[in-house]
Amino acid sequence: MIALSSPDILGSPPALACTQLAKHYGGVRALAGVDWELQPGEVHALCGENGAGKSTLARICAGITRPDSGEIRVDGIPASWSGSDEARRQGIGIILQELDLFAHLTVAENIALGNPALEESRWVSFEKLADAVAPHLRDAGIPVDPGTLLGELSISQWQLVAIAKVLSLDARVIFMDEPTSALTEDAVERLFTVIASLKARGVAIAYVSHKMSEIFRICDRISVMRDGEMVSTMRRQDTSIAEVIQQMVGRPVGAREATPPEDPKISVLGVWKLSTRKLRGVSFDLADGEILGVAGLVGSGRTELARALFGMTRVTSGRVTLADGDYRPRSVSDAMRRRLVLVPEDRRRDGLFMRMSVRENTSLAALRRYARMGWIDGAREAEEAREQLDETHTTYGDAGQPVDALSGGNQQKVLLSKWLLTRPKVCFLDDPTRGIDVGAKEDIYRLIAALAEEGVGIVWVSSELPELLANSHRIMVLHEGALRGILDSADATQEEVMRLATGGKGDGP
Amino acid sequence: MKRLPALPLFPALLAAVLVAGCKPQAASPEASAAGAQPQRLVVFSQCNNAEPYRAAQNAEMQRLWDKVPGVRLMVMDAQQDSAKQISQIETAIRLSPSLLIVAPNERAPLSEVMGDAQKAGIPVICLERDIAQPNYTTWIRADNEAIGRLVGEFVVAQLKARYGEPRGRIVELAGLKGVEAEINRSGGAHEVWKDYPGIEIVTEAVANWLQSTAKDRMTEILSAVPRIDVVYARNDPMAMGAYLAAREKGREKEMIFVGVDGLEGEAGGIEKVRQGILAATFVYPLCVDKAVEIGTRILDEPGFKPDKVYTMTSHIVTRETLGK
Amino acid sequence: MSAAAGGALGSARRAARPFIGLVLVLILGVISSPRGAGGSIVFLSAGNLTDILLQQGEIGIIALAMTLVVIAGGIDLSVGSVLAFSASLAGLLLVRWAPHIPAGAQIAATVAAVLALGAAIGAVNGAIITRLRLQPFVMTLAAMIGVRGLTKWMTGNTNIDFGFDAAASARFSDIFSHKPLILSAWAVLAVAAHLVLARTTYGRYLRAIGENEKAAFFTGLPIRMARTATYVACGAAAALAGLIHAARSHQGNPNDGVAYELDVIAAVVIGGTALSGGQGSILGTVTGTLVLGVLTNVLRLRMVDSNVELMAKALIIIVAVWLQRRDRNAPSA
Repeated sequence: MIALSSPDILGSPPALACTQLAKHYGGVRALAGVDWELQPGEVHALCGENGAGKSTLARICAGITRPDSGEIRVDGIPASWSGSDEARRQGIGIILQELDLFAHLTVAENIALGNPALEESRWVSFEKLADAVAPHLRDAGIPVDPGTLLGELSISQWQLVAIAKVLSLDARVIFMDEPTSALTEDAVERLFTVIASLKARGVAIAYVSHKMSEIFRICDRISVMRDGEMVSTMRRQDTSIAEVIQQMVGRPVGAREATPPEDPKISVLGVWKLSTRKLRGVSFDLADGEILGVAGLVGSGRTELARALFGMTRVTSGRVTLADGDYRPRSVSDAMRRRLVLVPEDRRRDGLFMRMSVRENTSLAALRRYARMGWIDGAREAEEAREQLDETHTTYGDAGQPVDALSGGNQQKVLLSKWLLTRPKVCFLDDPTRGIDVGAKEDIYRLIAALAEEGVGIVWVSSELPELLANSHRIMVLHEGALRGILDSADATQEEVMRLATGGKGDGP
Repeated sequence: MKRLPALPLFPALLAAVLVAGCKPQAASPEASAAGAQPQRLVVFSQCNNAEPYRAAQNAEMQRLWDKVPGVRLMVMDAQQDSAKQISQIETAIRLSPSLLIVAPNERAPLSEVMGDAQKAGIPVICLERDIAQPNYTTWIRADNEAIGRLVGEFVVAQLKARYGEPRGRIVELAGLKGVEAEINRSGGAHEVWKDYPGIEIVTEAVANWLQSTAKDRMTEILSAVPRIDVVYARNDPMAMGAYLAAREKGREKEMIFVGVDGLEGEAGGIEKVRQGILAATFVYPLCVDKAVEIGTRILDEPGFKPDKVYTMTSHIVTRETLGK
Repeated sequence: MSAAAGGALGSARRAARPFIGLVLVLILGVISSPRGAGGSIVFLSAGNLTDILLQQGEIGIIALAMTLVVIAGGIDLSVGSVLAFSASLAGLLLVRWAPHIPAGAQIAATVAAVLALGAAIGAVNGAIITRLRLQPFVMTLAAMIGVRGLTKWMTGNTNIDFGFDAAASARFSDIFSHKPLILSAWAVLAVAAHLVLARTTYGRYLRAIGENEKAAFFTGLPIRMARTATYVACGAAAALAGLIHAARSHQGNPNDGVAYELDVIAAVVIGGTALSGGQGSILGTVTGTLVLGVLTNVLRLRMVDSNVELMAKALIIIVAVWLQRRDRNAPSA
């Protein structure tokens, strides 16, 4: 455990101070006269619901977006910059929720992009660049070869590379937008070590997150925003999780517990000794209306399981059966035909079509239902899409606008709506609540529970153990491609799951 | 918003292009001195400015029409593209010219549009090459068949001088196959040679009237053919290209080069004969002087009915004929 | 909270842009047009306007299919060669082939054969691109070169002139150079292409595939089939354009159609379709085609050197693409 102490606040100008910042997007008020400051050497949380304005505030301070009005001061000196490059040069860095990394470049090149100090090394020789970059990779806790192509790494590794990138900037102020959303437990610990060392160096860190447990562990102060306004700024020791949540949301929010299915009759998904290049004889059973969580560390084979079930990787041995018979995984469309659907992990890259409209994204998987001989019945499509979006409590302005314009949480709801419209029998969810706020998460938990009540079988992969424990009936734990155990969620504890996930033996199949 | 300034940029640039491109094409002192006389538009559709023969035609056209008062000449270049020439002539028809002169790129494609010009009441002069249907007021041609025969006879004489009898190996370089000049220059020569069994046409390559293409084709031929006596290229640039190819292989003394066109000037065929590169060339009349003569009469004399065809004659140019 | 820059308003503005371009060029045409007898505006005469449409007909038809190819994330550089191939094949079948069947049947057989082979070339392009995963640029470049070679070889690199009498080739020329036929063919195909793109599942899939291929894969869309179909359409469109071209020039010429693919792509780009795929419209393409045609006509009526035309075309392409880029860089939430 790492203890973090408060900095000495008196006597020096704030590292960053905002006065009356305001920003409108069209008719929507994203920020309304926000005053806020960040002290050197403190870790300061920014909390708020979907649309509260915390991401907007972070982006403005990092130079990505320009405010409509208001002032920013860095170390007491007024600053204005025309782009994130300039902001970076003044020592303000940001790790975005949607990582601005490029799959077709190497790790080293990604880190060097936009970093004036490293750009020169980049042109001299790759070895020089790799050397310059290696220490940052080590600090971030991702000891990969800098020459690896980014596309070959997993999502959680991408996030660590993004952290390394910010470390390389030698920034004085760092904004982190949902930095642990794709990280596993041990990676989170490494991040906290990094933050502690940055803090010791006097770097100010703004930590935008929804994860209360983390915030209350490492942050010195907590600022809560709601509807574009700064509601309060408190010291951590003066407040509690419940109070913060209450301020964020305006109402108290409780934890959920999953109710087990009534009388599970049939197995909607049976996997028997499934092996691929990375999976070793995984077997499990899923009943109708059951929620089966899948836990494990990075590289444990959770994504590989999805790939195997949907025909994206070759199955070397084993058998899969669905409710209506044997199933040989061949392709995603084949799986869809058997009413087995996959909601992929990275919604921007693999799930949504950013420039297409909300309606089009929602209806795409089930489009054939609204078409006769290929001709789309626009009215029916619009109506059913709207109904589905309402059921998932998706907030959107106009169904014709690009899905790009929605917040992360609503985008995820659109993605779920798309698959729900196909009326699946088995749903494989890969990290469905990654990078979305408390309010939206609650909606999604409720949704998944409702789905299960209708008899849909759900396999739920997640890196957030508490969420799995609270919302699933059973949890399956993988370690290095093998099944370590299947536990009843009601009785299991985090420690036990972690033990299995790190290779301890359990008493499962 | 920020986008608006870009919109006026676009037509402003376009207008600038228009102004820049609109150089008056035939503003000559005589024509403007004529003052009160209304400008009559003469349109000349040239099939390809890039050939020296045609560049000479254009220059001659400009020079001769400049002398005629009250006439504005517009020259269009179709860059060897029939479809382009068709659409250029279509647009020219809209301008209601007083006279249309066409050097057609190919026989079949241009027939219909020249007929359209006639139907629009525009007198049409077909220059040098012909078209598939007689859709013109008059055709001014040079006798390519006569030239072909002259070539044939010259070659026979040369082979007799070399071997004591009329036998030998001939390589031919052709222009565009569908064109009248090509058909008749080759036909005239072949007509002469068919009586001599000892004369063999080893191969014929198509070089599109262009020097560079001819050099490429000749290089290929030199690799394949061991002994060549005569290279008969249907125009001087192709003959020149063949010579350059042979010289690269060191074989230029092995054969004689015969071309057609006989243009004056440094780059012309006559100079090549003087330098000993070409054994002979045959002056191919530009036909322009006749075209301007007939054209002027068409413009000035309302009742004038020109002949359907006017034929211009040619003559040979060799070292001997130049020596005088 | 939403970013209006990316919203429905933004896409309407984007769609209007090529239209504004067309209006501007038309205005320019009227202003700069020479005057005819009695002060009439030559540019606006029915004959001149029909000329513009006809001169752009071949490019216009191919551009419709090219729009689909580009929206799905590909490109087809072989259309010019396929046009020449089709025109030459028509020449061979109408002039050199002498079956003892009535002219009408010969013409019908020729048209069927040419369209089928054009589509087949497109199918080969599509199959190799989707199965062997060759980049569309590379594959269609190879096809461009190969088909041109095939065309020259099968005709002996000479033109095949059509007759002017009652032969099958002459009748074919009359039919396929018939102005109302060409214009209605273009119009019908444009409407059909628009409906397919905007109102069918296939059109929706094309946009999704071009927008995000990975997501399309995860949605189970028939990526291979959809993409291949666009290349088949392009091949068939180029073949149809080849037939029209042969009829209008009264010959099958293996050297024709050079650089046509560039004009087609220019029309598509000016019409607002981005080469990166995922969005575009048929209306935009038609507008882009007309902008190019009107521009050429305006310059010719002013007797501007034809080489300047090319530079003006280049200018328009740059401006059109530049305006698109500003649109795409608008910030999203």
